[in-house]
Amino acid sequence: MSSMTRRRLLERSLALGAAAVLPGVLAGKAVAQTSRRDLTVAQGGDVAKLDPHFSTSSNDIRVSFNIFDNLTSRHPDGKLYPGLATEWKRTAPTTWTFKLRRGVKWHNGDPFTSADAKFSIERTYDPTVKTLVSTALATIDRIEAPDPSSLVIVTKQPDPLLPARLAFYGGQIVPRKYLETVGADAFNAKPVGTGPVRFVSWVKDDKLVLEANADYWGGKTNVDRVVFRAIPDTAPRIAALLKGEVDIITQLPPDHLERVTGNPGTTAKGALYAGLYVLAVNSKRPPLDNPLVKQALSLGIDRATLVKELWRGRGIVPNSMIAKGDNHYDASLPPFVYNPGEARERLKRAGYRNEEIIIEVAEGYLAVTKPASEAIASMLSEIGVNAKVEVIEYSVRAQRIREKAFKGLWWSDPTSTLGDPDGMFWRLLGPGGPQDYWRHPRFDELGQAARFSVDEKFRGEAYREMTKIFLEHLPWIPIVQPYEDYGLQKFVDWTPNPNQQFEVRRFNLKLQRG
Amino acid sequence: MASSIPAPVPADTLLAIPPAASLRRRGRIPWPVTCGLAFLAALVITAVMAPWVAPYDPVRQSLRARLAPPTLAAGDGRVHLLGTDHLGRDVLSRVIHGGRVSLVVGFAAVVVGGLVGATLGILAGFQGGWIDTVVMTLADAQLAFPFILLAIGIIAVLGPSFPTLVVVIGLSGWVAYTRVLRSQVLVLRTREFVDAIRGLGGSPLRVILGHVLPNVLSSLVVIATLELGRAIVLEATLGFLGLGIQPPTPSWGGMIHEGREYLDSAWWISTFPGLVLMLTSLVVSRTGDWFRDVLDPTLRGE
Amino acid sequence: MRALVVFLGLRLLRALIALWLVSTVVFVVMRLSGDPTPLLLPPDAPHAEILRLRTELGLDRPLPVQYLAFLASLLRGDFGRSIHFREPAARVVLGYLPATLELGLAAFLLASLIALPVGLLSAVRRNTWIDHVVMTGALVGQAAPTFFLGIVFILVLSLQAGLLPTSGRGEWRHLVLPALTLGAFAMASIARLTRSAVLEVLRADYIRTARAKGVPEALVVIKHTLRNAALPIVTITALQFGTLLGGAVVTETVFSWPGMGRLAVQSIYNRDYPVVQCAVFLSALVFIVLNFCVDLLYGLLDPRARPR
Repeated sequence: MSSMTRRRLLERSLALGAAAVLPGVLAGKAVAQTSRRDLTVAQGGDVAKLDPHFSTSSNDIRVSFNIFDNLTSRHPDGKLYPGLATEWKRTAPTTWTFKLRRGVKWHNGDPFTSADAKFSIERTYDPTVKTLVSTALATIDRIEAPDPSSLVIVTKQPDPLLPARLAFYGGQIVPRKYLETVGADAFNAKPVGTGPVRFVSWVKDDKLVLEANADYWGGKTNVDRVVFRAIPDTAPRIAALLKGEVDIITQLPPDHLERVTGNPGTTAKGALYAGLYVLAVNSKRPPLDNPLVKQALSLGIDRATLVKELWRGRGIVPNSMIAKGDNHYDASLPPFVYNPGEARERLKRAGYRNEEIIIEVAEGYLAVTKPASEAIASMLSEIGVNAKVEVIEYSVRAQRIREKAFKGLWWSDPTSTLGDPDGMFWRLLGPGGPQDYWRHPRFDELGQAARFSVDEKFRGEAYREMTKIFLEHLPWIPIVQPYEDYGLQKFVDWTPNPNQQFEVRRFNLKLQRG
Repeated sequence: MASSIPAPVPADTLLAIPPAASLRRRGRIPWPVTCGLAFLAALVITAVMAPWVAPYDPVRQSLRARLAPPTLAAGDGRVHLLGTDHLGRDVLSRVIHGGRVSLVVGFAAVVVGGLVGATLGILAGFQGGWIDTVVMTLADAQLAFPFILLAIGIIAVLGPSFPTLVVVIGLSGWVAYTRVLRSQVLVLRTREFVDAIRGLGGSPLRVILGHVLPNVLSSLVVIATLELGRAIVLEATLGFLGLGIQPPTPSWGGMIHEGREYLDSAWWISTFPGLVLMLTSLVVSRTGDWFRDVLDPTLRGE
Repeated sequence: MRALVVFLGLRLLRALIALWLVSTVVFVVMRLSGDPTPLLLPPDAPHAEILRLRTELGLDRPLPVQYLAFLASLLRGDFGRSIHFREPAARVVLGYLPATLELGLAAFLLASLIALPVGLLSAVRRNTWIDHVVMTGALVGQAAPTFFLGIVFILVLSLQAGLLPTSGRGEWRHLVLPALTLGAFAMASIARLTRSAVLEVLRADYIRTARAKGVPEALVVIKHTLRNAALPIVTITALQFGTLLGGAVVTETVFSWPGMGRLAVQSIYNRDYPVVQCAVFLSALVFIVLNFCVDLLYGLLDPRARPR
């Protein structure tokens, strides 16, 4: 090698070396880095179904939104972005027209067309298929696919929220040809989507392996592989993060936040949950049929202390049934008040005769709700309520939901699926909804009207009036709007999504590499 | 616990329990057993006197004093010798009251199991024939069944209430009593005096009460003691799985369950009830072993 | 010999009946535990769909009919389809079986490998501190509740010392703590057994004979110990394996070990009857078979254990 080239080589390597060190030096402290090209995520529960239309469990959703794309996509910033649809417009009062992305391929090489979108959406509410998301897109009347890259959706009534509906569960697009060829069971075992990662393997209770889709229309993900593992117990899950065995953990309870942030290699990130944690009420059961009793219960709960002590400040006290961040959230309303004296008054006025009021909580379903139940029961005892906590199993809870047979109060975490009250309280508390224990004619009238109105001002008025009715009758007793926290290795650059989706696409996930 | 094979247990143990014969001669109880019995007595007394012995109300929450380590001044300004749990409740008080639950459930379960098992055993031994076969087959089935799953299944159905727990835990152990009673009855059945009594017109029941029971009493004591230890552990195991006596009532298993999440931050929540549980189990089974050596060495292997 | 055959024949009959009883109990308990359909359909599914699903799963028929169908398919070896996994139940259960077997085997190996030499040492150094430590350990191992032992191991060896993984299954390091926990009882029992067997041997005449002859004592001790202790140790091991599923439930839960025990528990919560029925049946079968083998072994080897 001539001296010229040797010097060149030296210069080059020096320059490269400096370039590697310099950013860290300039930043003034060591930047966490890795050379790895894979990401391991530990969830609190195992994946159960890979077919996106057969599960609404967050453990499954985190995976399915990455194997599959939706027509529209809700990013962590809360806005709607193009997904498999590049443009959409309401071309008639009940008609939405979508322009679909060209050149997209399924993971098995088949081309994506409007026929797939039509098939997929119709599948969700097809009575012979019996999906678990059959009501998500129930406002749709019919779908037309005039050409391979356009889709026309006609709704039963004017539906301004359709694009938002398509962004959430039920709106994942599945391949018609592949599904029809292999059948639903095989599809669930080996799913094929258009998403940024493709399915590789799944060993139950062990791990789910996904690899990057190199041809993804949104650009290849920053990592080559994403692995999902389940570590149901909290202490081992956090330990796995602290030891570096996993890169991201979900369901980080507030009590353990400091351990993660205090550890040199890890940090925590949270998103304000797009929804609320509430005590739903079986308003059919006395004494909970009496609004005064429910108001008393609400006044007797010291939410601020609960948030401060049990949630370690990682949450806000709600002011109504509309979550902060949703359309028509009224920031001028004060948060729910704690007034034990007034609570006792109302109990007396209601003629409360020490009937038992039961709080049902499922073990391990929602973080912090079990201790919160006990704390609330204790608070209610102090205002003279005969409150009891009953811990029930998850399957019993599911049964009670189905049979509408809760004994009194139970925990619910209604998610705002559309960023709008229609997709949150109205979806659940509306007539025929899963939490239909209480009806009020004016409330119902307003809810229906607001769903199908395109006049945002009118909707705002309607929701304001509904809020007043809600606060008087309290079919829910909202408790907290928590931050949902995740633990991460410091070299993981990722933002959580308020609606519990887990975004690995290029725009949201990056590993700092050295 | 095979059906016909005696499982061996070493005759010689560290704690040098002298053979029965020499014991009866000397009439002295070895010191480890005395300690154990004293511990048990203390446990029972504390359990009975719990409301007076425990420093605080075990269900009293104090959200400002959550997760406090053993300390002289927690967030609520009070002394918590064993710390507080995730709702600020005093661990020591809860351990003391938890002892009540464990002992009550344990004793009740032993009574239930004993009654069922003894009845079946006497029946099987006395009547013989197909009743005997039925009972022994039931015993086989019971032993073959992974009982913990049955317990989980039943409690998941019926809910974890005190009666359910007592019955389930009690029924997990009837086989031991049945075996012993059955073999005692069989032994006595061959003796002439039973036939003689029958011949004289006495009732079989009188025979049982008069002759069988006194002879099996010592065996029953041994089995009951060993079963008590097992019942306490089973109750705690179910509590650990979330299927025991429900909060806010404290139980050792339940406390260990609640503290599991905080194992590496607030370890005292799980550890103290666990240590007491372990000690109790140790002492009870040791005492049962000693009873066996003293009262009825033929039981060795059951 | 003929008496032996008759005896074994009767035992076989009893074993089959026991198996049938076990299956029936599982059936009854699971059916009484409630409906799995709410877990499978969205909360707002119309009633007609619930009925349709129940028909599809065969849950709408009267209970005795379902029971007979269950027995019939049992005889065919068909355990039905898992409600939760939507696969044949037998396939699901057998998929989880290797993990439990791995755990059981490791527990046994660990127990024996540690207990035998430790018991020997303890006997040879009788009444010294080693003996005291070992026997106290054995006491604890036999009396300590399994789940708490596991918790302590996790706390001390994993979370505090960082030596071993806290949960899950992966490489050999994941196996250590669960195997220690599961094998603790057997380890304690075998240690005590070995100790007393060795003590007996040391007292016996053939030791003096060996010394007189100049044969190395160690060899004699080991040979005779093994001969005396072998059968009881085999018995303990066989029993341990027999109750492996039931015994492993707690350990697998504590360590989130993906084995049959944990599967059975999850399936109870999911009301997944076919899986629970299959897992329990398999477990009972293993127990009964192993017991039968041990009976056979004793029947052949030890005339004292034969029935009168």
